[in-house]
Amino acid sequence: MSVLSSKLLGAAQAYGQSPELQAQPQRPVAANDRVNVGMIGPGSRGKELLRQLLRVPGVEIAAVSDVYGPRFAQVNELVGKKVPAYKDHREMLERKDLDAIFIATPPVFHAEYAIAAMKSGRPVYGEKTLGFSPEDCNALVDYVTQSGQIFQIGHQMRYAAWIQEAVKRVHQGQIGVPTHVYGYWHRNDSWRRTVPNPSLEHLLNWRLYKESSGGLLEELGSHHIDIANWVFGEQPQTVVGTTSVVVYHDGRTVGDNVQAVLGYSKGRRMFFSSILDNGLMADQLWIYGTEGSVQITLEDATLYAPSGRGITAASHSDVVQRGVKTGASFNADSAMPYRGPGERIETIGGEDSTLAACRSFIQCVRAKQQPLANVEIGFGSGMAVSIGKHAVVEGRMKDIPQLRKT
Amino acid sequence: MLKGLSRRNHFQIAVLVVACLSSSILSSAVVAEAHRASQKAPVQLYSMDHPAMGTMYSLYLYAHSRAEADADAAQVFNEIDRVEDLLSNYRETSELSRINREASTSAVTTDPETFHFLQTSFAWSARSDGAFDITVGKLMKAWGFFRAKGTIPTAAELAQVRNQVGWQRVQLNSAQRTVRFLSPGVELDPGGIGKGYAVERAVKIMRAEHVSAALLSAGSSTIYALGAPPGKSGWKVLVPALGHAENTLSTVVLRDTSLSTANCSEKHFIDNGHLYCSIMDPHTLYPVEGMLQVTVIAPSATDSDALSNVLFVLGPQESASALRHLPQDSALIVSGKMPAAQCETVRWSAAIMPGYCTSLHTAKEN
Repeated sequence: MSVLSSKLLGAAQAYGQSPELQAQPQRPVAANDRVNVGMIGPGSRGKELLRQLLRVPGVEIAAVSDVYGPRFAQVNELVGKKVPAYKDHREMLERKDLDAIFIATPPVFHAEYAIAAMKSGRPVYGEKTLGFSPEDCNALVDYVTQSGQIFQIGHQMRYAAWIQEAVKRVHQGQIGVPTHVYGYWHRNDSWRRTVPNPSLEHLLNWRLYKESSGGLLEELGSHHIDIANWVFGEQPQTVVGTTSVVVYHDGRTVGDNVQAVLGYSKGRRMFFSSILDNGLMADQLWIYGTEGSVQITLEDATLYAPSGRGITAASHSDVVQRGVKTGASFNADSAMPYRGPGERIETIGGEDSTLAACRSFIQCVRAKQQPLANVEIGFGSGMAVSIGKHAVVEGRMKDIPQLRKT
Repeated sequence: MLKGLSRRNHFQIAVLVVACLSSSILSSAVVAEAHRASQKAPVQLYSMDHPAMGTMYSLYLYAHSRAEADADAAQVFNEIDRVEDLLSNYRETSELSRINREASTSAVTTDPETFHFLQTSFAWSARSDGAFDITVGKLMKAWGFFRAKGTIPTAAELAQVRNQVGWQRVQLNSAQRTVRFLSPGVELDPGGIGKGYAVERAVKIMRAEHVSAALLSAGSSTIYALGAPPGKSGWKVLVPALGHAENTLSTVVLRDTSLSTANCSEKHFIDNGHLYCSIMDPHTLYPVEGMLQVTVIAPSATDSDALSNVLFVLGPQESASALRHLPQDSALIVSGKMPAAQCETVRWSAAIMPGYCTSLHTAKEN
């Protein structure tokens, strides 16, 4: 395990680097077979994944691994039975009865554990972000490409019916040419977890320290960056931004707010912002096109596409508007457009996106198919964040390495 | 329930906080210093609000620092939000909404927590012979208590709803952990129990975090008193006298127990001079008549929430027998029509405001 692992876990709990695991054949899984799932890292996000998995018919939570012992009792309560538990994920991977592995550790471990799990012969559902560093992201893409193993990235919004429909309509041209994506995802708390004793600070509050966390850009922004990648059909090329600690001067080394601008081809831009204090839990994403906009939330999507467009500055004719003669370069309705109520994008169902993502992954395991949110999808946002977290600290624009095409 | 209208009326139960809130502490953003000093500083009272489930949750919490209080409150409110995500029938993405959508056509596999919640709900249905019933979703809609103003349904509408209401129309399979509706059109509405459940889950979080003293209120509908303020025997909670905004019907001191109240003062509609309450009698398919307020004290917030609704539907005559097998629970039941309030108490030890009740009856223990 890395130096960071030692710091997170305490020297006494640290263990050495994982030995190179040889790829092993996985237990054959038929179309309707029970799927035995193992999870590395059943913390807050991991438990939510478990909760959703328990809603998928035929899934058995067969084993969990975590360095923090109290998690096991929480898992047992959630699952409703005693789940075999391991402090060392390598021991869990030695079990012969596991069909798929979920990884919900801090991102700094994602690549190492995901590759270890795939080398043990199991498909992997890896929480975002794909990796903590550019090297992590490249290593995972390389391994999946070469091995053909099933890998799904935890960008569950790709599975939200209302977001799928919204992006589909954007791609159909219903808001013209999409040029900008604005996303903001604010929290409404300090982002700090209470810890039973100070020695566990870095283990439980890993999100607050740069050695283990890319901050709000990583934890929240990566989802919105992924949607921007989806909308624009490519990964971003550049990233610039800023971050600071404005309220919570409690020793954390990642910002309690972040603003980032990501550059795509043809001058298209994605802007993301996150702060920790606001009146409501706020998470919205807007897609702006030349002929309309789409608003996406965690629950629904609304399309705003005015039927009549304002006169553009390119026109040189005079117009009369509300009795006032004015130049064509200004039109009040265009400057401050009233969008009206918009059109709620209707879909059948509306299943929780994480449940939909888990269900789809289990289907991929049974059908032996690569998932929709594959490793390349994960690369698009993961690489952007692994560069972006440094760009916002340094306050200068950085280039984002592109996916290496084989 | 949960967002917008709920079956429970959110009247104000004033919470008498026995210690003063320090305005300087409440307004301070000096988190770091407070955090560092947290382990040695004496506990102080902090208060925080959080909107959820169509109401305002209030948390009064003793902690060593603002940072500690904020961190605890964040976990409490995150848990409440999680339960709302689980149970809200106003959110299409909730597990309850998924069950409502799919359980008429096939058995729906759900997680153990949701399954246990449904078991608890239907246990209350069985115990109350259907007076409590979360299958009233379509009934609530027929009467306009779901995202709408109240309306009186037609006889034809009620006849249709009759085939869609009834806890025995839901089949739970423990071995498979599945839910199946045996009739088409059944809809679950957790309005009579959901907020109490959220409070219970949040209290569990606080116990795990070793919070010594806290009071959590779900818009005054359900309150849980965890521990007691320093030097006190418990948290004082004022049960207001309906129709007397400044008066207190009864003052109770709570410690490690919950209090829930059901009434119709806020959520109702008036048609032709008649008040229609949002709390339904699942047997008659009509709003409950002749009841003003029921307050229940019980160890479990989930149970006190459900039981307050049960007693509201059953009325004063049957309430005492309903409580016979619940020796830890107590109740204050107000029926009639103001200003002629008739009060019935079951194991209610606190004093009742003199002159409020035109009759006051205390149920005898057998």
